[in-house]
Amino acid sequence: MADKQPPTCLSCGAGGLCGGRGLLTLKDGAWTNNPLAVQILGICSALAVTNRLENSLVMGAALIFVCVGSNLFVSLLRKHTPHRIRMIAEVAIIATFVILFDQLLKAFYWDMSKQLGPYVGLIITNCIVMGRAEAFALQNPPLLSVIDGAANGFGYAVVLAIIGFFRELFGTGQIFGHVVLSSEWYTPNQLMILAPGAFFALGIVIAVFNAIKGPEPEEKK
Amino acid sequence: MKKGSCYTLGYAGVLGSVCALLLTAASSFTAPYRDANADAEVKRNILDVLGVRYSPDVSSRQLLEVFEAKVKQEESAELTLYRYIPPEDSDEVKSVAVAFEGPGLWGPIKGFLALEPDMKTIRGLTFYEQEETPGLGGEIASVWFREQFKGRKITGDAGKTGIVIKPGGKASAINEVDAITGATMTCDKVEAILNDVIKKITGSRSTDG
Amino acid sequence: MTDTSAIVILIAAILTNNILLTNFLGMCSFVACSGQIATAVGLGTAVTFVLTMTTMLNFAIYHLVLVPAGLVHLQFIVFIAVIAAFVQFVEMFVERFSPRLYFALGIFLPLITVNCAILGASLFMVIRKYSFTQSVGFGFGAGVGWALAIILMAGLRQKMMYSNIPEPFRQVPIAMIVTCVLAMAFMGFAGMVSIQ
Repeated sequence: MADKQPPTCLSCGAGGLCGGRGLLTLKDGAWTNNPLAVQILGICSALAVTNRLENSLVMGAALIFVCVGSNLFVSLLRKHTPHRIRMIAEVAIIATFVILFDQLLKAFYWDMSKQLGPYVGLIITNCIVMGRAEAFALQNPPLLSVIDGAANGFGYAVVLAIIGFFRELFGTGQIFGHVVLSSEWYTPNQLMILAPGAFFALGIVIAVFNAIKGPEPEEKK
Repeated sequence: MKKGSCYTLGYAGVLGSVCALLLTAASSFTAPYRDANADAEVKRNILDVLGVRYSPDVSSRQLLEVFEAKVKQEESAELTLYRYIPPEDSDEVKSVAVAFEGPGLWGPIKGFLALEPDMKTIRGLTFYEQEETPGLGGEIASVWFREQFKGRKITGDAGKTGIVIKPGGKASAINEVDAITGATMTCDKVEAILNDVIKKITGSRSTDG
Repeated sequence: MTDTSAIVILIAAILTNNILLTNFLGMCSFVACSGQIATAVGLGTAVTFVLTMTTMLNFAIYHLVLVPAGLVHLQFIVFIAVIAAFVQFVEMFVERFSPRLYFALGIFLPLITVNCAILGASLFMVIRKYSFTQSVGFGFGAGVGWALAIILMAGLRQKMMYSNIPEPFRQVPIAMIVTCVLAMAFMGFAGMVSIQ
């Protein structure tokens, strides 16, 4: 992946700060290798918190915060971290950001903290964050790593929001708690906000994503 | 090689310490807010069950102020009572709330029971913590289940203390309510927890005379 | 706190509150390794073992160290450190004493460290204020439940290999939809837990 370097900088006005790979990294993280829809990572939280759109957005924000923070610090420390303990070091940095977010949530957005429950803490084991730290931040300069973290986080947040939107809409007839599909003619499909609905919605979203992207020459596992 | 190990250990130590320090600092900084939030949640339940009116988008701090102003807390040996005194009347006790807490099926069940000033008729019920199965036991927190308790009495016809949560839709006596279908165990546990606190209420009442 | 017996919690963790089909934990490895039944059995066994042991370890550390020292806010870090260390230790132990077992299971062990089910089980144990026996029952039950789900899934996916699935749905999407049906089936167990 790292050898797809374009010969000239895709000018974004930053003057080649990222070695010409800034925009490519951005597109890669958010679309081409979307962590949820393409790499199929971080599914646990995608299923658990998407029963309401508001929860999905907060979880998306959490992931962007953690991914950017951890990528930044893993990248800053990459030349000093001994190889043998690099995974533990990554986990420590990730966990710190996750706990920070959890504390802030409990302090300033209590209701949401109760809604998300243990799933904020479980961001520590979210394969996306760990994956980006290991695969990208360890080998790349800080600014590029931040872009990668933001792109992946953003790509994840968007897919989460789509799933959350449809699950809340069809599961309760509401968006953000406001009734959209009136109960006069629409009987909410409660299954959508329970576990089976989550699996179903995720399957459909990934299928649609695959259909839009079209068949790609990918190496089969 | 030895230098490598020393450096590894030193690095791990420093990183661990920095992270722990950062988190402890964040924890202390957010502690007052978090505590206020947790406290406000409990107090919000008390205000709700007592029927106190307050603005819906009030902050945690403001809620605590409302609580301090309007609710009087009375401690006795067995029980903590929360009395609501409405401003219009002069010192007439409008409702009283008690906390109940006990083991549910999957986790603790905590809530508040509100009574009319006669200490016999139930005014309302709220749960602020429960881990029961959503859709089954979890329905105890739903409006329909809690609404049943309004107007019921805590003692039965033959003077039997305690409410009964009756399955099969056969609730008839003044101290009976309908159970949730398919959630027998949760209902049994809720019944036990409520009767436990009711025993304390009737017990302390008889000693007051 | 709850006085539900450890056995009931164990059965519930397998059937009615299955950690994967109800709480969505452990999905990443579930999706990746449910292609073959043999792989699923191997991973399921390893996960059950690690889950049971780490839940017990974390219970001890939480109640004997974190709570008395007022360090509850560090529970996430401590739990995951314990899990990582335990898995590392098991890997070394198995490699040394049973090369055959290591060959069969060793590849899964690093995967297990990031399995959200392991950390999730410890967090649930804390939230639900389980006692020690309840924690053991819960940890073991969660592991067996996870293993059950992944083995069922592997069996289904092996059968599906010969089905004509539309292009966009191949691999993951159809697996998700099948899991949806599996989750619905497990929901049918909801009322079965009862104590005499």
